[in-house]
Amino acid sequence: MEPFTVLNAIAAPLDIPKIDTGMIMPGRYSRKYRRPGHPDYAEGFLHDLRFDADNNPRADFVLNVPEYQEAKILVAAADFGCGSSRETAAYAVLDYGLRALIGPSFGDIFNGNCLQNGILVVVLPQEAVSELWRQLREQPGARIIIDLEKQMVTAPRGDTYAFDIEPTRKKRLLLGLDDVGVTMEYMSKIEVFEERHRKVLSWLAPII
Amino acid sequence: MPTVPFTMFQKVWDRHVVAKAPEGEELLFVDRSFIIEGNAFLGFDQLRIAGRKVRKPLQNIAITDHYLPTLNRAAGMGGFTNPEIRRVVEMQNENAAEFGLEHIDITDPRQGIAHVIAAELGLTQPGLLITCNDSHTATNGALGALAMPVGASNQLSHVMATQTLWQKRPKVMRITIDGVLPPGTTSKDAILAVIARVGIGGGVGYAIEFAGSTVRAMSMDARLTVCNMSVEAGARIGMITPDDTTYSYMCGRPYAPKGAEWDKAMAFWRSLPTDDGARFDREVHIDVSNLAPVVSWGTNPEDSLPITASVPHPTDYADPEQRRRVERALRYMKLTPGMHLTDITIDRVFIGSCTNGRLEDLRAAANVLKGRRAVVPAMISPGSTAIKQQAEAEGLDRIFIAAGFEWRHSSCSMCNGSNGDVVAPGERSASTTNRNFEGRQGPDAMTHIMSPPMAAAAAVTGKLTDVRTL
Ligand code: SF4
Repeated sequence: MEPFTVLNAIAAPLDIPKIDTGMIMPGRYSRKYRRPGHPDYAEGFLHDLRFDADNNPRADFVLNVPEYQEAKILVAAADFGCGSSRETAAYAVLDYGLRALIGPSFGDIFNGNCLQNGILVVVLPQEAVSELWRQLREQPGARIIIDLEKQMVTAPRGDTYAFDIEPTRKKRLLLGLDDVGVTMEYMSKIEVFEERHRKVLSWLAPII
Repeated sequence: MPTVPFTMFQKVWDRHVVAKAPEGEELLFVDRSFIIEGNAFLGFDQLRIAGRKVRKPLQNIAITDHYLPTLNRAAGMGGFTNPEIRRVVEMQNENAAEFGLEHIDITDPRQGIAHVIAAELGLTQPGLLITCNDSHTATNGALGALAMPVGASNQLSHVMATQTLWQKRPKVMRITIDGVLPPGTTSKDAILAVIARVGIGGGVGYAIEFAGSTVRAMSMDARLTVCNMSVEAGARIGMITPDDTTYSYMCGRPYAPKGAEWDKAMAFWRSLPTDDGARFDREVHIDVSNLAPVVSWGTNPEDSLPITASVPHPTDYADPEQRRRVERALRYMKLTPGMHLTDITIDRVFIGSCTNGRLEDLRAAANVLKGRRAVVPAMISPGSTAIKQQAEAEGLDRIFIAAGFEWRHSSCSMCNGSNGDVVAPGERSASTTNRNFEGRQGPDAMTHIMSPPMAAAAAVTGKLTDVRTL
């Protein structure tokens, strides 16, 4: 996983609330095979919002506006990523080229999946998000700076917004650590735990 | 007596904590992991890339459910019509075999939807920590298990490689449901009413304990429906305290403990219920004594109202964001504000899914359909192969077929259309499933979710119908 430190990138405003993971990554794309390390899921990302029934780009959709082509940050509306747990939605975000999402609230499972895949999820109050939308619309193609170490978002006009992040996730994002690697260092603890656990739940033997 | 009262959630969580990271997340031991085919190939790929094995193969069971066809099942792997769908199932077969996992596959007599068969087989037990790479894993919480969804890639491969999972301890919310469910209503109506109250974001960051006299009086099938939809209230975990209903449900299940082991297990299970005076971070109370059958009108499950109500006006919503969303929902659902819900005509009915594909659900639907006929295309996909056989033994299949329903095999089927059973673009369905998101049952399909008797009533009239008036 690539470490996440400071991201200074073009941000796109997407003000449709409750975009669920099925819209982020429609089922028909989700079942396709993704070759490890290849951005195969970029096509599926928000597909039905980006394209019409004849597969032509919807010109009025924000991500199809030329100024946002290089966007690496999406400023989303409430409950982005609610719904099904499909992790392909997080891969789609990544494969499309985004590294961070900002919004007033996110689906819980989706949020976790993004963090696991090196995508920073920043929760800010709705007023702050609305202000970011306003500035981004005024100046299409404007950049936002996200400093993970300082837990700070800097808007195009220079106003700043602090955000919270769970410390374990923060550390792993900053260092680009993969969870399994971290956990392997706990293996002796896991084995001691299992010994004890097996005695309590003895009827599950020999499974545990 | 414990000096500090604990919630059931706390007791089960604490029992599974292996370690705590200095920064706060906890490393939890996973007693059982169910691996559904969906995108599990991503998780298996990660193991392969890293050269890792499944550390505890006996604790990981592969289950294939979403992509199985509901027709021509006797043909086994030859019964697929879409090669891409077939490939997903083949990858699951290959991965389960390569990593040495037991696999409840297309030909297995135990086959069914993971969240149906886990309880049915006794794999789910009170007090266990269970994961599955599917968002409705909380279903298992109906038995007092702590069951949570994991992502199909990183988290699933982490569980497979270590038999543990890093999690932040959620807050705990108790939803107390009281009152006797009136005739014509079911646990589905109760949970839809709960979701309409707390909202689809209301449970984010919480584990829910469902409590109250209504829940205590529910059968296990009904409880599974309630916990199933925890995630529609935003919560990844939903639980119900084990009691005599739970124990008698467990007794005799294939994977349930037997003899002296049963007694040991019972002693443990009886220690799990929430202690009197335990503190919850949030409490919600709801009285269902006057509940009417509930249907959804919009594009997420909180858009639900009693069948006696009318389609809302966007102006009913004070919050401008909500108003815009409701406008969009009404446009998508092609509904006019103010029209009676009972004036909404439907094109198709689906009965099944991990929410409402259990025996009790099929019996309730059959009860309505007996001696009646569907006026729109309608189909049933039982939650498991065992349920299908049991329903046939009771003669329910004959009632359904006489009513004009298609009696299919078990699969997730039209719940999300993974297997190709979709609602056509522009069609409107009455469905016993749990999600009515845009495109959930197929591109441009419109979904109204409701209980099995209500879906049966809709099939008979071709409109959303108050089953109490039939
Ligand atoms: S029945 Fe529907 S909700 Fe349940 S697991 Fe299958 S697709 Fe998901």
